Amino acid sequence: MFIKDLTCISPQRTFEGDFFQSEPVIYTGSQLIAIEPAYESIPNSQLRRMGKSNRMATGAAMPLLQKYKTDGIIIGTTDGGMEDCHRFLNQIIQYQEGTLTPTNFVQGSPSSPAGGLALMSANSGYNNTHSNKGLSFENCLMDADLLFIEARAKSLLVGCVEEISQAQHRIETLAGYIKKEDVSSDKLYSSKTPGAVNGEGAAMFVVEAKNDNALAEIVDFDMISYPSREDLLTKADALLKRNGLTTDDVDALMLGFSGDVNTDNWYHGFAKDLFPQTGILSFKNLFGETPSASAFATWFAAQLVSGKPVPEMTFQRWSSRELKTILIYNHYQGNQHGFVLVRKPAPSIPQRGK
Amino acid sequence: MEAAELKAKLKGQIIEYLNLLDFTVEDIADDDQLFGPKFGLDSIDALELSVLLEREYGIKLTDPAEGRKVLVTVDTMAEYILANQTAA
Repeated sequence: MFIKDLTCISPQRTFEGDFFQSEPVIYTGSQLIAIEPAYESIPNSQLRRMGKSNRMATGAAMPLLQKYKTDGIIIGTTDGGMEDCHRFLNQIIQYQEGTLTPTNFVQGSPSSPAGGLALMSANSGYNNTHSNKGLSFENCLMDADLLFIEARAKSLLVGCVEEISQAQHRIETLAGYIKKEDVSSDKLYSSKTPGAVNGEGAAMFVVEAKNDNALAEIVDFDMISYPSREDLLTKADALLKRNGLTTDDVDALMLGFSGDVNTDNWYHGFAKDLFPQTGILSFKNLFGETPSASAFATWFAAQLVSGKPVPEMTFQRWSSRELKTILIYNHYQGNQHGFVLVRKPAPSIPQRGK
Repeated sequence: MEAAELKAKLKGQIIEYLNLLDFTVEDIADDDQLFGPKFGLDSIDALELSVLLEREYGIKLTDPAEGRKVLVTVDTMAEYILANQTAA
């Protein structure tokens, strides 16, 4: 499938800023908070009721939905509006299961962004939400791919959104998934301590079945849960082979290094075993860890293959090769592992009459 | 509680419950139509307002017809609260 256009709200100036022309924003702490725009595409009457995840998803997706006619909307989110969900659950206790307001319940539902976008853009086509924890984005891609294969769609909005909820942040910190100490994001990989840093945002894509002046191509993707190291290598090798590629055809790996000393060994092992010479890029020192981090990686990779300069702090192993093919490998908490292969598309052939 | 004091408090609560980003207490007149063009409220806001009455003043609106008479202006809401309040 081909990426026609894309947007991203993230802890970096990716939405309306000059991310690729300026120095990345450096954070200290364990939360990388999204830089939210003014949301001019959302009427105030609707904005006032939106939780953060809904706001970010709508703010990122609406400019695309206003620009392109799509046959459906597919959104991935693991936790959805968790802040609203917690508020709603707390109200059940606080008001002794009395009358509750509907807003927090609606905003806390993971399917709220996809449904809200359909209503706002009057899109009555396919509408689905995938909440598959660390593989939500990969499942969105699979959904889109199947629709394209079955010729049920030509163009789709696909994307992911995640927000940091403070209760979830505390739980994940206690569980050791988030760093207990403050760390500067530009020194994330030298921290050598357990846990990642939390991130949030929304990455949205208009994907098409055919190449019509696309920015990038999502050549293939795959996923596996609870693999052995051998399983993982076999999976990656198979992905390359079925696309007629070898490891040497990959210009750079984009690996989900999170700074977690307990789980980053997956990436070190993967690169050492299969890609010992290939350039390595990171992205979580820019965007933080989210269950659908691969969506942010795909946004970043698509920008790089379309010619954007590589931010220096993302180079983990230097390569002078032009970035035409990038293999994204990301895992969530060491359990769910996903691959996305992104490539610079061949120039599209003009259709008759165009 | 005096009517004037109640109305000022009520306006603040309406802004808070409905998250009316563009409005301050001073922007809401006692006789402004809550469901008129000025505020752009809808049926979900009506639910939020009835929850406000229950949580803040211990008043439960059970009859929709009654709700349509009460949730009209700050004046009508305050009048109803003063007549029916059971809890602060």
